[in-house]
Amino acid sequence: MFWPALQGFWLALTNWDGLSAPRFVGFGNFGDMVSDPIFRTALKNTAIWLVLFGGLSVIGGFGMALLLQRERRGVGIYRAALFTPVVFSLVVTALIWRVFYQPDGLVDTVFRSVGLGNFVRPWLADPDTALYAVIVPALWRQIGYVMVLYLAGLKAVDPALYEAAKVDGASAWQRTRYVTIPQLKGVNSVVLSVIVIDSLRSFDIVWSMTRGGPYHSSELLSTYMYSTAFQSTQLGYASAIAVVIFVLALAVILGYLIRAFREES
Amino acid sequence: MTGLAADRRTFLKGLGVLGAATLVPGCATSTKSPGSGSAPTGQVSLQSNLSSEQAKAAMEKLVATYNKTGGSQVKLNTVAAEIFRTQLPTYLTSSNPPDVYTWYAGSVADSYAKKDLLLDVSSVWDSMGNYSKAMQTLSTSSAGQKIFVPTSYYWWGMFYRKSNFAKWGVTPPKTWAEFVAVCKTIQSKGIPPIGIGLGDTPWVASAWFDYLNIRINGAPFHRQLLAGQGDFTDPKVKAVFTKWREVLPYFDPKGKSFPFQEATSALLAGKTGMFLIGTFFADSAPKDALDDIDFFQFPIIDPAVPVAEEAPTDGYFASKKAADPDGVKKFLTWLATPEAQNIYVQSSSGTAIPANPDGKSADTALVKKGKAMIEGAAELTQFFNRDSSDALQPTADAALTKFLDKPDQIDQILKTWQTAAQKVFKA
Repeated sequence: MFWPALQGFWLALTNWDGLSAPRFVGFGNFGDMVSDPIFRTALKNTAIWLVLFGGLSVIGGFGMALLLQRERRGVGIYRAALFTPVVFSLVVTALIWRVFYQPDGLVDTVFRSVGLGNFVRPWLADPDTALYAVIVPALWRQIGYVMVLYLAGLKAVDPALYEAAKVDGASAWQRTRYVTIPQLKGVNSVVLSVIVIDSLRSFDIVWSMTRGGPYHSSELLSTYMYSTAFQSTQLGYASAIAVVIFVLALAVILGYLIRAFREES
Repeated sequence: MTGLAADRRTFLKGLGVLGAATLVPGCATSTKSPGSGSAPTGQVSLQSNLSSEQAKAAMEKLVATYNKTGGSQVKLNTVAAEIFRTQLPTYLTSSNPPDVYTWYAGSVADSYAKKDLLLDVSSVWDSMGNYSKAMQTLSTSSAGQKIFVPTSYYWWGMFYRKSNFAKWGVTPPKTWAEFVAVCKTIQSKGIPPIGIGLGDTPWVASAWFDYLNIRINGAPFHRQLLAGQGDFTDPKVKAVFTKWREVLPYFDPKGKSFPFQEATSALLAGKTGMFLIGTFFADSAPKDALDDIDFFQFPIIDPAVPVAEEAPTDGYFASKKAADPDGVKKFLTWLATPEAQNIYVQSSSGTAIPANPDGKSADTALVKKGKAMIEGAAELTQFFNRDSSDALQPTADAALTKFLDKPDQIDQILKTWQTAAQKVFKA
């Protein structure tokens, strides 16, 4: 299990085209990254992705969970509807959304019908919109997933706490802020890990919608790693990018865990 | 990714069949190598990337016919084209590689010969004296050995619907000035004159770069540039883009969003005027529309430059480690015959032209015209990736799609392209 990972670290220090023997170049690949404009775009896009995709799916998922936590008639239908996208493979999701985005497709029609025809553009082919056009379907899927995690968390909150807060005269907002959120700490760490890992490995949806294009404008670290490895066959450089992704994921999650443990002790 | 899983499954199934069919004790070891059995003498494994339905059926027919001639038995293993492309280096470097591979002539084949991975097939060429000079050059490695056996080629051209051109009152242009005039007329009818399909298939834009470069600077300059002996920041390269800019307003703005298959539909539906594409587009076109399709040669820009055309050549090469080199060569010799090539051309989509001059191409006006154009050309080029490498193609895709979007930034784009290309050439 660890052997391929170790080999990846070793390859990151070499130049390798997959044919000849790998040539050791030390930290040369990492040096190249600093001056590589595509790597910088990919890093920036990954950060945007982490913030927008991560942030909005937590907010959206939490909001939906609060809305749908109380057992009402028909609430199951809404929950199921929000969870449905999670069941689809991301590649299928991408296919559906590509149809929406195509010229004169659903998105264009909606924009025109509300009088925003001037904003219509080739969503996935315009470098200014491509990344955001991919984040939307990714969110569409992730919100349902996060919602389910929070719903489970909310079920575990003791109703007596709300009763007590109500008796003390706490408003609905205060109950959410001082009872619900602190009670969900355990769920939060799970959600955070899931979001960070999902953001950094988001590959399939971007690849099947834009392939990181047009001209690298929607490139994430993961798609850039794939295209350098398998299209440009610069396997050493691609391994170096993989190492960066690994370090980033580890840093974010470790940072959170350390903080969480410190607060506990 | 589902495609990959399915493919691996069929692939394993193929391995199972292969193992069961050989009936030779000890062939269990065959599962060790990716792609083929440890072919004992008398057996040749053929790794094919021709995975589209028609082409696959044609290959099966071809192999079945050869197996009836006696001699070694050929086992066909078809792999999805995209997987084949990424796995080819792995196949060739594995300890027990498949024997024969479908691939492309020219620089892409030579890059493997340079690593000493390909079988010298000079003896096969003894029986191929009637092949054109251009084919011989394409099949010769930089070390001077014959490493490739070409079997068919196709052409690129500016395709259009005859009925639409008649309706708009335009005739196929010959020169650049006439071409611009045709674009203007078509645009005045409210139709985007030039179709293109860059979503998912950004490499289609390379055809424009290739053609403008061979029309303005000539084929030798183009080849050197793609081989890494030139510089993309050269003013001669910039001249290509200056010319291209003259017709940029006539490109279909929607072409950025969809792949070339949809651009083909747009052309056939009369939503665009013309489309620079290879004959493979016919695979995804309805047969009845094809009768209305014609093409014209990419317009001449500088009459002083010898006319070159893009004629991508397909064929076969073999692994240096082939278990039975004589059997392999015998098979390749047969593939080079007109009979073998006729079988393939007739059973596939029909726009490919046999590489053997004695082979019979499909008897349609379109194919005859295409063949005449290629035979009349002073120089032949392959296509961007085939004249350079698959690794250089993504650098061109990024540069060209960016140019189509932001032509003002051409100097910066060329600089970035040169940096990216250098990285590929150094790797």
